[in-house]
Amino acid sequence: MDQNYILDSGKYLSGLQDRIIYLGDVKGGLEWGHLQDLLNEVQKIRRNIFEFQEKELLRQIRNLEDRISFFEARVAEGLTPIEVVNIARSVQRFTLQDILENVYDSFTELGGEGDCNIDPAVLVARATISRRVKNRIYFHQVMVIGHEKGKGEEFRNGGSAKPWGNEKALRYMKVAEAEGIPIHSYIFTPGAYPTEDYPGAAQQIARNLYQMAKLRVPVVAFISEGGSGGAEAIGLADIRLMASRGYYSVISPEGAAAIEGHIKEGEQLPRKLVEHCAEQLKITAQDNLSLKTIDRIVEEPPLGARKEDFAFFRRLRYEIIRATDEVVLKTKSFRAFRVYALKRQAMETENGICEEFRLYINWSLSDSEKARLLENRSRKYRNMGHGYNELRQSVVSRLAQAGDTAKQSYYDIRYGLLRHHSRSVQKILEEVSSEGFIFLKTVTEPMRAAYDFVFPKPETPTRTELSTPVRRSIFVEEWEQYISPLANEDRTVTCPNAEKYGCRDLWVPDLYGEFCGVCPSCGHHFPLEYQWYLENLFDKGSVREFNQHIASTNPLNFHGLDAKLKKAVERTNRHSALITFGAEVHGVKLIVAMLYSNFRSGTVGAAEGEKFVRACDKARTTRRPFLAYIHTTGGIRIHEGTLGVIQMPRCTLAVREYIDSGGLYMVVYDNNSYAGPVASFLGCSPYQVGIRSSRIGFAGPRVIRETTGADVPPDYHSAKNALKRGHIQGIWDRRDFRKNLFEAMMTMGSPHLYYK
Amino acid sequence: MDKKRILIANRGEIAIRIMNACKELGLDYAVVYTVQDSKSMHVRKAVEEKGSGAAYRISNYKDPNEIFSVADHAGAHAIHPGYGFFSENFRFARRAALRNRPIIFIGPRWEVIRDLGSKINTKRIAKKLRIPVIPGSDEPLYSEIEAEALAEKLFYKQKKDGIEKPSILVKASAGGGGMGIEEVTHLDTFRQIYRRIQNYAKRQFGDEGVLIEQCMRDYHHLEVQLLCSQHKEIVHFGTRNCTIQSTGRQKRVEAAPGFDPDYTDYPFDARKVLNRMVKYSVQLASKVNYDNVGTWEWIVTRDGQPYLLEVNTRIQVENEVSARISRISKHKTPVNLIKEQIRVAFGERLKYRQKHISFRGTSIELRIVAEDVKRGFAPWCGKITRFYFPEKPWVRLYSQVPQDEPYEIPTEYDPNLALAIIWGRNTEQARERARDFLARADIQGEDSRGEPIVTNLEYLMDRLDDVLKF
Repeated sequence: MDQNYILDSGKYLSGLQDRIIYLGDVKGGLEWGHLQDLLNEVQKIRRNIFEFQEKELLRQIRNLEDRISFFEARVAEGLTPIEVVNIARSVQRFTLQDILENVYDSFTELGGEGDCNIDPAVLVARATISRRVKNRIYFHQVMVIGHEKGKGEEFRNGGSAKPWGNEKALRYMKVAEAEGIPIHSYIFTPGAYPTEDYPGAAQQIARNLYQMAKLRVPVVAFISEGGSGGAEAIGLADIRLMASRGYYSVISPEGAAAIEGHIKEGEQLPRKLVEHCAEQLKITAQDNLSLKTIDRIVEEPPLGARKEDFAFFRRLRYEIIRATDEVVLKTKSFRAFRVYALKRQAMETENGICEEFRLYINWSLSDSEKARLLENRSRKYRNMGHGYNELRQSVVSRLAQAGDTAKQSYYDIRYGLLRHHSRSVQKILEEVSSEGFIFLKTVTEPMRAAYDFVFPKPETPTRTELSTPVRRSIFVEEWEQYISPLANEDRTVTCPNAEKYGCRDLWVPDLYGEFCGVCPSCGHHFPLEYQWYLENLFDKGSVREFNQHIASTNPLNFHGLDAKLKKAVERTNRHSALITFGAEVHGVKLIVAMLYSNFRSGTVGAAEGEKFVRACDKARTTRRPFLAYIHTTGGIRIHEGTLGVIQMPRCTLAVREYIDSGGLYMVVYDNNSYAGPVASFLGCSPYQVGIRSSRIGFAGPRVIRETTGADVPPDYHSAKNALKRGHIQGIWDRRDFRKNLFEAMMTMGSPHLYYK
Repeated sequence: MDKKRILIANRGEIAIRIMNACKELGLDYAVVYTVQDSKSMHVRKAVEEKGSGAAYRISNYKDPNEIFSVADHAGAHAIHPGYGFFSENFRFARRAALRNRPIIFIGPRWEVIRDLGSKINTKRIAKKLRIPVIPGSDEPLYSEIEAEALAEKLFYKQKKDGIEKPSILVKASAGGGGMGIEEVTHLDTFRQIYRRIQNYAKRQFGDEGVLIEQCMRDYHHLEVQLLCSQHKEIVHFGTRNCTIQSTGRQKRVEAAPGFDPDYTDYPFDARKVLNRMVKYSVQLASKVNYDNVGTWEWIVTRDGQPYLLEVNTRIQVENEVSARISRISKHKTPVNLIKEQIRVAFGERLKYRQKHISFRGTSIELRIVAEDVKRGFAPWCGKITRFYFPEKPWVRLYSQVPQDEPYEIPTEYDPNLALAIIWGRNTEQARERARDFLARADIQGEDSRGEPIVTNLEYLMDRLDDVLKF
């Protein structure tokens, strides 16, 4: 008897101890509120537990608990964003293992268990989730994919997925697709593990996004810790739920602080700055909901759910089923039924978590429903992340645009409107007839005849004869039409490879003039301004820019960004880091999106994303090749928070739709290309090429050092190494760019392209 | 001319000839040399004449940065590139002109060097002026199909012309100096060779453009020597014949004039052919506003058809063969083309016209080289212990090899030892004098294994009979 209460008290005290430590986690240390003293007290009582009388012990415990509860209430009242981050990172927080045990009825881990795993940070499980409807239990099969942070085990790597972990996730997504079961993905990651080893952090995330964009099963994501690209690797979902004490951010607050404060490597980050950044980045669930980067919040206890918050797991189970239902129902053609079902379920939620569902909804989809699922997903992402300004356009440019529109109308009608229309008419006909409504046949037959009349079957396509273009290479006329302003200096520079290859010093007017910034002896490429490419890559006068009026802005009111943007606009006379234009190469028209370094280091935010999507769509409707030339990109613009991150799935989706329509999407990397864009809409291209001497990768050397603790060689990100690892398909010399581009357009891509 | 200083950015005998020209013009000069050349006569002569401050040691004749630094340090007003090295490097010429402290480049304007530096561009300009060029492509080909079609056409043409063994040449368009050239004798093998050259060109020159042209077999190699001023004055100093070459297409014996119908018979009207070549050359020079010395290279086939090959926008080794037989009225001595070149580079007028130029006799140039003719003209290196040539009023000898002390041939450069220019009243006399000269020449030395020196004196003697004969 005695022993028992002591045992219970011991457990209880250990629970109290955990609560104090947890508070310390949240507050970033035990200094706050003298938590250390409190902890010492608890530990003292635990040590001397046999010395106490039962009553005295209970009194002491109650007193301690009151004090702890008081602290908890105080902390919960004024949770700051950085404290939310601390909650999400705490070892005591629930993990995917807890979810699998408490939310699902049974599960089988796939592709490894525990530390016997290709990547213990990524967990995949075939799971069963059940619902009760009128005392009957129904089971759903789902594929659960997520990050496992573990309870402090080192091998879990804190939920930081390695490239092969993401590859594993993708493999099982395809399994789920083949089997037609929904995917529930759980995001618990501080970010992807920055290694370039095959399949490469960035490239694999890009591949995941590319596949997820058109995965033909419902995907529901739940975010607890959403660290940028790592989160996106499994996060492109039809519905995105988020834990109320989770965070979803473009970069860790520490990372942002290091960049914003220009903190040198190894120096202590000022705590205030980190807190400031956490606030500015708008990373909480509430922030993300208002930014519309998530769909719904799953309420947690005020201080966040821990592994024994069973009420929370019940709620999560309800929410995840409901979300999956919603995705499925939205694909059904019976609108009334959908509205009805949602309404009923909405009522249920108002009464709190509901164990019972009114309806059983089958989560498998028919082909037409799958198509609608993809349409819904496409629409969803296209409507996300709109944090840009549309500038008033001058009359002239509006006129130009009108002219442009007039020119485009042929394509729009020929390839856009009619085609789309024909496709949907066809689909209705197919759907109606396939559902076996034989009595409708008498109705559809004449319709089909009418359809064939309006959209006659195409005759044998008349191929456009392409006369071999005149290709000049070494002649006077082509020289010196555009001289880089870098060339106007009488001095010499030393090639960085001089010691290795004995290159002579280069006279600057030669180097930046006809050498095109290339060392003639070793081929080292010196950086050139983006204008050089505008002038030298495309036929003279063929460059026609569009969407210049879409301007980068400061959607999160990030402190100090306005001034920086203003400076960038003044310096470049442009309004975003992405230039989109139509151009010609030897008369073949193409659409180009160009990220350039002068504007906020070529970072991608909402405006850039929008321009990219529009360019993609333009290429799709006009059936032109689409080139993404990356002069430089520093990643996602951190000042736009998750509005920036969301451009990753968003643009990838646009790219996927362009490629699926039969387009030719080529990516050419120059100078430096890192992070988010490479890990999404660039890395997913089947044709990626690096300009010589360029660097391509996921995270820069500093981030790699800081996250992995290991240093990387200086040429770690070089194009040559990227080629060796299979990340890119080739290396081009800058001087061959135009020729290679033309050849690529002639020899690659489907017959769908307008000139084929 | 004021006391201007010229930096001579070359070595060997041409440096010596430029020094002499400077001296005659009353110009100051400085020379450069590498450590391997420190025993060369051009350094010794410069130090003797101008003091030790007039010779700058550099690490490499081919580094423009070094040459310009020396030029600045020496306070040079102009740079004479000689031949080889920077003489036809338009970038060097352009840098000289465009740098903050401009220096006169003794040669044509850089634009001219650039435009005529490319054989293919020259060919295009020539075609526009209806100057005959070798049948073939006049722009680099990048497409195999296009190239094969043209190859077929060229084979057909040759067959039609009754050529017995028709063949074509496939060349890397960015190449030169005999690199990246292959012959195709059957159309069937064309593709394979084309691809090989294309890959070679891409590897070697970074441009995979390829040229193809008819392969000429039975021909003479002739040159027209022009001199132009910056005031649109153009004169020519006749023609010369450079047909006698080593297997590596290095000239060994040259003679002026280009043909001598009084000496031997030609299967065509030689005078008429020479006149045509001169006329065309002047026409092209005037078209591009040529403004310095230059050589128009031609080939003449057995049927008397001249074809323009290329333009050498520099003073050539063999310039004096032409100069030796040319005389400007009122001048006591034959013309000195290097002197004229320096004068026009400084912007002076010619002060004479074509009608003031007359030609007298025949001259033959012999290039004396330490090479093993029997073993594919392989260069010989070692130490020269005796270097003797007869002194005659009808011979001029240029050499960097000292006659009074042993001389180690630097392995870094061509083993050219001397140039001898021999003049005769007519071709017979010139030939006999050359024979006499060669018979009395005496070169001795040995290599590191103690083997005696190998020179081409015997070869030159043998080839004298072929001079000017078709």
